[in-house]
Amino acid sequence: MDTFLSLELIALALTGLLIWHSASTRGAAFTWMFFLGGALLGLIRENVVAQVAALNLYSYNPATFHLWIGAAPLILMVFWSYTIYLALTFSEVIAGGDLIGGKRRVWVILLSMVFMASYACLNEAFAGIYPMVLWKFKPALTIWGGTPAMVLWGYAGMALIFLLALLLVYKLRMRTVYRVIIFCASVIVMIPLHLLWIVVFRLATSAIG
Amino acid sequence: MNNRDNKPNFFVREIPFIVLLVFWVIYAGIEIIRDRLDLLTSTIPTVFFIIAYIVVKLLSKDQAGQK
Repeated sequence: MDTFLSLELIALALTGLLIWHSASTRGAAFTWMFFLGGALLGLIRENVVAQVAALNLYSYNPATFHLWIGAAPLILMVFWSYTIYLALTFSEVIAGGDLIGGKRRVWVILLSMVFMASYACLNEAFAGIYPMVLWKFKPALTIWGGTPAMVLWGYAGMALIFLLALLLVYKLRMRTVYRVIIFCASVIVMIPLHLLWIVVFRLATSAIG
Repeated sequence: MNNRDNKPNFFVREIPFIVLLVFWVIYAGIEIIRDRLDLLTSTIPTVFFIIAYIVVKLLSKDQAGQK
């Protein structure tokens, strides 16, 4: 079996473990919202980014990925939810906080953003071996190792937007099924917000460049 | 429904840590095999979180033991 196909399958299996953890420690409502909403977010966002040329961001490398859903790799359906879930869990433990419970919420969100930027570094260095994305532009600002700074900003911004939206919808006083539906529908707002977040950074760094 | 009161076993509780560690080992392992290990970028930022997580867990265990 191709090494990268193994990695894709491992990523899917590990996401299954995280869903199990979430259901065991955070309950069904949170788990449905987080992972179903995250899957929709990944599915729609990554297909939009890959197919809308006007965004001028990137597309996915067909030579690297094996499992696809539309113009985006299948693992992108779980990518955002598993990375943000790791970010949230690690941040809650380290900060001694609780996003939903309201304990040290700001610190949990800020630390989650830092975690996402750290994870972006890990992913980008790995992408040096397996070219996962085909960039459509030359980044104006890079950090050590040639990692585009925009990626770190983008990962951090996704955590911020996703967690704030989750918190907002989770706190609505209505049945779980409606909250899940509303959160899934809210990805339509999250995606343009995140793209705007990236545009702001690109404009700012192009001025620096 | 909130399951926070029903404490799951050690394996289930530590799944996120295991998952991050597995990803980290795979990524770093492949980078080492391919002779492309970039310590600063790929490994150090996430290692801070791994170490911080372990330290907090150990400290909270110590505090629980002292009570």
